[in-house]
Amino acid sequence: MLKKEQNELVTQTGPGTPMGDLFRCYWLPILLSEELPENDCPPVRVKVMSERLVAFRDSEGKLGLIDEFCAHRGVSLWFGRNEECGLRCPYHGWKFDTTGQCVEVPSEPVESGYAKKIKLKSYPLIEKGGVLWTYMGPPERQPVEPEWEFCTVPLNQSFTSKRLQECNWLQAMEGGIDSSHVSFLHRGDLNNDPLFKGAAGNKYNLADSKPVFEVVDAPGGLYIGARRNAEEGSYYWRITPWVMPCFTMVPPRGDHPIHGHFWVPIDDETCTAWSFDYHPVRALSDNERNAMKDGKGIHVKYVPGTYRPLANKDNDYLMDRAAQKAGKTFSGVEGIGMQDASLQESMGPICDRTKENLVGTDNGIIMARHRLMRAAKALRDKGELPPGLTVDHMKVRSAAVILPPDQHYKDAAKEALIAKEGVRQASV
Amino acid sequence: MLLSESARVTTAQEAKFRIQYPNSKPRAVKVIALDTQSAKLVDEVSTLPWNGAAFFKSLSFDAAKGTNVKAWLNDLAGHTADLATEVANADCVVVISGAGQDAHSVSLIAELCTQHHKTLVALVVPQDAARDDEIDASLRILRPHAKMLVIAHGRDYIEAMLTALRA
Repeated sequence: MLKKEQNELVTQTGPGTPMGDLFRCYWLPILLSEELPENDCPPVRVKVMSERLVAFRDSEGKLGLIDEFCAHRGVSLWFGRNEECGLRCPYHGWKFDTTGQCVEVPSEPVESGYAKKIKLKSYPLIEKGGVLWTYMGPPERQPVEPEWEFCTVPLNQSFTSKRLQECNWLQAMEGGIDSSHVSFLHRGDLNNDPLFKGAAGNKYNLADSKPVFEVVDAPGGLYIGARRNAEEGSYYWRITPWVMPCFTMVPPRGDHPIHGHFWVPIDDETCTAWSFDYHPVRALSDNERNAMKDGKGIHVKYVPGTYRPLANKDNDYLMDRAAQKAGKTFSGVEGIGMQDASLQESMGPICDRTKENLVGTDNGIIMARHRLMRAAKALRDKGELPPGLTVDHMKVRSAAVILPPDQHYKDAAKEALIAKEGVRQASV
Repeated sequence: MLLSESARVTTAQEAKFRIQYPNSKPRAVKVIALDTQSAKLVDEVSTLPWNGAAFFKSLSFDAAKGTNVKAWLNDLAGHTADLATEVANADCVVVISGAGQDAHSVSLIAELCTQHHKTLVALVVPQDAARDDEIDASLRILRPHAKMLVIAHGRDYIEAMLTALRA
């Protein structure tokens, strides 16, 4: 349960809000590289944390992320012509470069210097691991570039997708750190989905629907360990790292690729759910990549030509009551990603947490909210930078391990929770 | 075009029609300090306004009357209460342990929680200078008994957790 003002604090990320300022400390994924595939390609509209922007790749390959609207009469530059190292407004021909600097105002003499006095708001945009990342905070605080393992392995070892999620970022992200729902909501998929099935650990998941949790403060956020009974005298641990503010990883299964998410606010009522899969030491097979493209695992099928899931609120998520009754799916919705999203969207655009009744096993969620609020207030009141900005905080991995009862995962799986180049993931 | 039911009912406008009523009854959360270090924390946290949470700063045993150990909780006002009765009347039991402190009394509390089907949450609260081996020692003792085990730094987390649990 959160008080109304606490709920507003953690869910509002627009400019000038405490949580918005916190998010603006980080590099965030905003576009797939495929959305700006070549120089002078069409610009793309982007809304991030309630700011409307337009992204483009200019004639020399430079990336730009600038205010969507022309400084002249407010026309959307999505209609712009991307040509000769700039984005030209089609209305009166004003032209802007990747930094937002106006470089041409056709109606005014070049010698007047008028164009130099016009500049649109812009943010840095960089490309890493097939993803375009932006940093929207003060330039003097710009942190090191993203070093998450999924975006530093060779491209043939990773697959990243994104989808529109039609609810506030926090209720989406909280699903990523709530390990206990897997035994219910996703139980039909553990033995069927090609990206999950066959792992030895699945049997422990399915046999023990009442995991025991251990939550530990980590330098960048939290580790959330879910413990289930394994063979006599041992425990099966699934360990989920959460790095502030919105990065989570799902513990691996067998030799399947590891996966995880970023949850990036579009505005306060929608977010982009980023889903990545990668294998630390080998290329993804054709079958794996095709399954991901086909919406298996944590990915989804799309409405053609969009990043909106094919199963969405407008078609009641293609609810299949017969499949639900037959036990093929627990909720009647197909696919792990949409099973989560459908329920999270059903909470409403911004979940009213004043009405919640949390239980002791929700402590991972309680602790994450607490860390977020504490960090947002420390930034606002004391200018303290939050965790999750340094390379060592980003070099995390999820893990699935079997341990004797007297060993704590934070020590016994310490090495497994650090991303190391060329080292296979710890998985069962 | 007609909107689907899911599209129609998940708007902010529709959220206003959610029925406003208390959807839960006050619940009994019992917070028990397992050692003197955590007793101090419990003492501080108890001064905040709560919805009926009961705070106990120590546990004492009386084994003289037979084989069954009788345990007594001592509240902040100096009153004693029967541990078995308190657990039986609880919805959730939270025990707090300082890292490296003696937490063995948790086994008796856990036994009663099992007997009465109550959830036991354990918090290990390390002091700033706590060593890893002290934290590990606490975890080893608490792990077999707790449904949820948390290593949390600072009093403010205890407050946040109890608020979230509507204690």
